Amino acid sequence: MYSLHKLLWEIRKDSELAKRFRSQTSEVLNEYGLEGDSRQAMLTLDFKKLHEIGANPYLIYFCALQLQVGRESYYEQIREGKS
Amino acid sequence: MGKVVGAFATSHSPGVTGWPERAEPRKREAIETAFGEARRRIDELKPDAIVAISVEHFTNFNFSNLPAFAIATADSYLGPVTAEMAEFINVPQHEYPGNGKLGRHIYEFALTNEFDPALVEGGLAFDENFCVPLKHLDPDSKYPLVPIILNGVNPPWPTAKRCYDFGEMVRHAVEAQNEVQRVVVIGTGGLSHWVGLPESGTVNEEFDRDFIARIESGDPEQIKNYSPQEIDAAGNGAHEVRTWIAAAGAIGAPFEVLAYEPVPEWLTGTAVAAATPGLNL
Repeated sequence: MYSLHKLLWEIRKDSELAKRFRSQTSEVLNEYGLEGDSRQAMLTLDFKKLHEIGANPYLIYFCALQLQVGRESYYEQIREGKS
Repeated sequence: MGKVVGAFATSHSPGVTGWPERAEPRKREAIETAFGEARRRIDELKPDAIVAISVEHFTNFNFSNLPAFAIATADSYLGPVTAEMAEFINVPQHEYPGNGKLGRHIYEFALTNEFDPALVEGGLAFDENFCVPLKHLDPDSKYPLVPIILNGVNPPWPTAKRCYDFGEMVRHAVEAQNEVQRVVVIGTGGLSHWVGLPESGTVNEEFDRDFIARIESGDPEQIKNYSPQEIDAAGNGAHEVRTWIAAAGAIGAPFEVLAYEPVPEWLTGTAVAAATPGLNL
């Protein structure tokens, strides 16, 4: 969970990393050593899944905003799951 | 001898300053009138410094280091942390003055009085935690601050009792020095709200009104015995009420809640409270 939280926090704090995550997702996930459920959830930006596996809701939400996900889209997804 | 001359506690929802117009006009007026009254009382108390207690929303701390309590000792603080946040919460980015010497004193006092907070000598930036309420309470940033951060954003949190006792320790620390005579304590956060969760936008009015009754009772036992589960029923953001509990410990007197409104448009049960027992109102 630490690696996932570290990635969520650093995307939130670093717009260049956010930009790179959007264009080179797998490479960034490799750098942070993410595997399994957390990797899959980040690959698909499945915020509900991130919540279910125990990521901190503040960090999920702030990371989503930094990745240019709108507030309404975020909450729609967290309530209803990724369509 | 220094003295805590008053304590205040408020919500810090970004909506209070960022999109006040979305609230029902009656609710907005009630909250803004209460903030105005709190500001008037703070000015009348003529504080030499403000000890400002809040959480921070992963703006500085993260899972590399997430202290239960942290005391800052810088002489200035940037807030809001980014231009984007400044625009979001409608607070101009600027430097807030700090009283590093008083912060250092409280930190050292804590270590010799059974508390072990983190020391933050610099680099602490503010988010809505302080910027939103201070826009109303000290719009010109004229009072030097001692920011204290407690963990209200990730379990396990410091217990309610520990937060109250920490506030008492702050009061004793203020009284154990002579240089800063008049100190106001402000706690910010809560009341009920959910951040990043499906319930976001709902308010647990029952929890909020019960919390208000307890904080107005002046009975420490009623606020010290909150369990994490009780608070969790009002949302992950409700854990910020620990800042109110610490402020209650710092003043040791009942609060008067100047306004409470459930404001879904601001995503919180929103309240402003004051404990100014020595003030001629």
